Order: sequence, then C-alpha cells, then structure tokens
Amino acid sequence: MGNKPLIEIKNLVKYYKGSFEPALNDLTLNVYEGEIFGLLGPNGAGKTTTISILCGLLLMTSGEVTIAGHKLKDEVRKIKTLIGVVSQDIALYDNLTAYENLKYFGSLYGMNSKHLDEKINVSLERLGLLKQGNTRIKKFSGGMKRRINLLAGILHEPLLLFLDEPTVGVDAQTRRIILDYLKDLNNNGTTIMYSSHLLDEAEKFCSNIVIIDYGEIICSGSPGEIVKSQKEADTLEDVFIELTGRKVRD
Amino acid sequence: MRKIVNTIHKEAVLLIRDKEGLALMFLMPLILVIVVTLLQHKIYQNVNETHIQLVLIDYDQDSVGLAFRKGVQSSGIFEVTLITREDKIKLSDAKKLVAKGKYQMGIYIPEGTTQIIKNRVISVVKSQLPLNVMPEIDIDNQNNEKVELFFDPITKASFQNIVKGTLNEFIAKIETRMVFITYSKVIDAITNQNTNIVYPATSAIVFKESYVSEYNRGIVPNAVQHNVPAWTLFAMFFICMPVAGNIIRERKEGLSARIKTIPVSYFIIIMGKAFVFVMVCILQATMIIAVGKFLLPLFDMPELILGSNISGLLLIVISSALAATGYGAMIGTLSTSFIQASSFGAVSVVILAALGGVWIPVYLMSQAMRNISAFSPMSWGIKGFYEVFLRNSTLIDVLPHAVKLLAFFIICISIAIVYRKLKNTV
Repeated sequence: MGNKPLIEIKNLVKYYKGSFEPALNDLTLNVYEGEIFGLLGPNGAGKTTTISILCGLLLMTSGEVTIAGHKLKDEVRKIKTLIGVVSQDIALYDNLTAYENLKYFGSLYGMNSKHLDEKINVSLERLGLLKQGNTRIKKFSGGMKRRINLLAGILHEPLLLFLDEPTVGVDAQTRRIILDYLKDLNNNGTTIMYSSHLLDEAEKFCSNIVIIDYGEIICSGSPGEIVKSQKEADTLEDVFIELTGRKVRD
Repeated sequence: MRKIVNTIHKEAVLLIRDKEGLALMFLMPLILVIVVTLLQHKIYQNVNETHIQLVLIDYDQDSVGLAFRKGVQSSGIFEVTLITREDKIKLSDAKKLVAKGKYQMGIYIPEGTTQIIKNRVISVVKSQLPLNVMPEIDIDNQNNEKVELFFDPITKASFQNIVKGTLNEFIAKIETRMVFITYSKVIDAITNQNTNIVYPATSAIVFKESYVSEYNRGIVPNAVQHNVPAWTLFAMFFICMPVAGNIIRERKEGLSARIKTIPVSYFIIIMGKAFVFVMVCILQATMIIAVGKFLLPLFDMPELILGSNISGLLLIVISSALAATGYGAMIGTLSTSFIQASSFGAVSVVILAALGGVWIPVYLMSQAMRNISAFSPMSWGIKGFYEVFLRNSTLIDVLPHAVKLLAFFIICISIAIVYRKLKNTV
C-alpha cells in the first residue's frame, strides 16, 4: 500500500433536501493507494451517500474532496476518467447481449475498439461467461448478471474502483469468482472502496475499514485492529453490533 | 464521435429488438391516418364540394322557376330534386321530408311568381313614361302567395344564406331582363320598328378564378391534403412517449446513474437517442405519405399531391422529427415516473395538435384561437407541409417554419440538459 492518499475527504457534510438531519456529518477520512477500503455501517449510515458524492452522482452540502489530486468540485469530469463504479443495482440493458453491453459502456470510456474487444473476451473468460457473451442479459441468472455488472464498471482498468454491495444475492461460487477477480485487480494497482453489509466478507476482503453511523465515523483501522479494539468481540460482526446497537434500522 | 456512434448503435439495436413496440410505432399512425381521413372526407366534401340535398317545388314553371332551377343545378353545391304541379305533392309533404332530414332545405316557388315580377316591372315602367307612349301590356291578377324557404334545423346558416343569395340574384336578373324587354317594347312602339334588341346572356364583368400556387390546377386542402400532413405530425409528436419512456426506464434501471459516473456528456447520450427516434419519425412520415399517395386512392379518396419541392418536404419532415424528439427528451428528463410522462406527454400532444390545426384546420378557427395556434409547433409543421403540398413553394418558403421547429428542438434539448445538470440527481 502506498502512503499517498488517493481519496482525501475533509469535513464532508450532506443534507438532503427537506431534511434537518445530516446524512453525512463532518466526515473526514483518507483512502490510500492500493488499499481495499471497506466503508461499513447499518442502513442509512451514509455509505451510499458517501460513494455517490465521490462518484459525482450527488452534490455535497459542504466539505472538500480530492481524488488523485483533483478537487471533486472543480474537476469532476477528470475524476470520472479515473474511477469505476459498480453499484448494487444491476445496471445493464436487458435486450442487449453481454458483449454488446460491455462494448457500449467500454466505448463510453473512450476505449480503443480493438483493445476493448480483447479486454471483453479475456474478462468474460476469466469470469466464466465467454460462451454466454452473445446471449441477451434478460436470459441470464442473477449471478451471471452480477458478474457482467461488475465487468461493465472495471473494463477500462480504473485507478479507483467503487463497489457498492458487489456480491449481494449471489451464491458462494460466484462470490468467490468475483472476489478473486477483484483481488487480482487490486494487485494490479486498482484501489478499491468497498461497501457491504456482508461483514465476514468485508473482514476477509478489506485491508482497511471504516464503520460509520449517522454520517459519522465510529471506528476505523484494519479488520484485525478493529476486532482487537473491542474486548469481547471475536469477529467484525460482533464489533459492528457492539458499536451500532441491536436496534433494526430502516 | 465514437461515443455518439456507439450510442446510436445501442439505441437502434434496442429499438429493433422491441418488435411489438416497433410495430405499434408504425402501424398505429397508419391506421389513424386512414381512419381519420376516411371519416373527414365527407366533412371536407361539404366544405369544399357539393351534396346539399335540396327539394325545389316549382309551381311557377315560368322564368323565375326555370332560372332558379338552372342556377342551383349548375352551382355544384346542391343536389336538386324537382317537384312540379304534375307531381301532385303538397307543400306540407315536402316540408315533412325536410323535417325528417331527407332534404337539407326546400324552396317553394308558387304559381305566378314570375308574373308578380312582370307586373311590378310594368308598373315601374308605366310610372316613368307618359301615358300615350306606354304600349298596352297585360297585368295579371296579383298572386299573394310568397316564395318559401324551409330548412332542416341542422343545416348551417351559411348554406341558408347561399340559397337566399342565389335566389335573390336570379330574381334580380329576371327583373332586370324584364325591365330591358319592357323598355324595348316601348321603344319599338315609339319608333314603329321591330328593333329585336337582345338582352346579353352573359355579364359584362366576368371572374377569372385561380389558386395562387405554382400548380396549373388549384389544390384545396381536402381530407387527404390536410389529414396526411396533419396526422403525420401528430404521429411524429407521439414519438415523445417512447423517447420519454426510454429516458425514464434508463433512470429507473440504474443505467442513467452508471452513465453519469462515466466521462460522457448528457448531450452525446441524448443526441444518440434523438438520432434513432428522428429516423423512426422520418420512416413514419414516409409510410404515411405513401399511404396518402397510393393507398387512400383505392378507398375512392383523392390522391395526395406531393408537389415538386422534395428538398422542402425533407426539410420540414426532419425539422418536425427533431422537434418531436426534443420534446420527448425534455418530458423524459423532467418527469419522475412513467405515469407523469405518459399523462403529460399524451395530453400535451393532443392539445398541441388541436391548437396546431390537426383536427380543425387553422383557417376555420376563431381569430383568438388562430393567435394561440401560432405558438404550437404542430402549426409550424402543418404550415410547412402546406407550403410543399398546396403551394408548391420553394425551400426558402419552407425555411421559416423549419427554423421555428429547429429552435423548438434546441430549446427542449437545452432545458433537458440544464435541468439534469441543476438537479444533479439520478
């Protein structure tokens, strides 16, 4: 891991229209190059809001965000060339084939057609979907769609990848394929910011974790450090429950 | 450039694969044009052509009756059923037939009507000349019966006025002719000669009528000439529904959010969509025009006359298609749900169509509605089509209407882009 912060968030505040409670309350954190950074928290804690602001999908109320040295407020278009986003929603065209979907999204990143074709074929093969490349997405299973959804966000080999629940609703085999692929991507230099409710997965996958609640950081460190910080906790989930309580969030 | 080409390709593939949607997009406007044109054909005939059923009860059977019969028959406006004394049909029976709607109007010319005019003329002439000059001309007993006009209550006032005007015109002609003949007889009596002066059969002033167009023959906006361009525009503007639906679907399915994280401008995305839907509109227009040209004549309808300004036609079709697509893009961007977009889109298109003269031609509207109509993009489109189809105008004449439509497209697209930027929501 590098010592240089790839993402610098300072005093980030977000109020949604009509709400008097901040979704993000003075959030400050750094994500370093080469990290797999886990952003964890219960429902409504502010995880998706944070990622949406960093991707340029939402405007911040106040604060300062710098990604790879570029200020988000001023250089959002430049930042978009450096990032990849994989949301928890399957954002694919049902009536296009896997290949057509990937070709379209890759071309929007300005990828060279020949390079894009090669990259699509290699990626499909790696994720076990080469034979289904010319099948329309509507005929895919949930796990297959999830893999294509992932590929659509990473084909252009981003410097920084945002993952919002990338393995939700998939079987163990598919999860293993996805996580291995992401690990390789990280080893090849892509920094990952990951958000999930699957705490055991996060514990194994992330190199550094922040737990947020009510828009504020309540705990941070490596998974091991976080578990050790709580005396009666054996797992990250124990810490999570200890810190955020047992009350169900909506 | 590659981004927009790929967007166009993607939109085209998605559209082609939605076979049901595609079929509806092309078939429905065709059915609409055929049905509406067939329905309105009769209305246009009433406005432009003949077929007012008139029963003429001619008990006079003299100059007035004969002249009026010839006049209404040759006017081309009426289909005349003649009843004479020999038919032994009473006036009350004829009135009943009109009341039942078999005839739209009836005219009763009683016996001796011509004689009444003759008597009047003789009286007038006598009063103007010395007694010893006036030759002996018989005056029959006055007939007190009046000429009667009776109408089916649904008959328009304008047609009633046409009949009254025509009748007055013939009576005036007969009176003039009789005055002329009477004075001729007086002159013959004074000069003791038979001058045989003949009253001219034609008027001194004749009308030369023409339609101010490049055509040799006049082309009136009949059901085909009006409905084909009007409903082509209506169908084109209904493209706003699939365009808006396409944008909303992308937003609902998270595709818009994904695209928003990619370094590509909304302008490229929206122009890619616009290109494909503009092509759809052009195809729709081509098919509807082909229906007007080749299919409607098979239903005993007039053939659509295209004119020779094909570049003008192309310009007005493309600019209308752009306006319609831009309108759809704006609705899709501003609406938050399918229901919003479909309700607003459908109703607004119907209103724009009504104002634009799709249903009722603008020239039949009140002045106030005509003023409002000037703001409907469909009105600009129809005017552009009229330039090509009815006036056979040049490209320059079509240009002002096309420019308005293009400006409308630019405004709609700009609103969509600015709104999306300001809103900054997915």
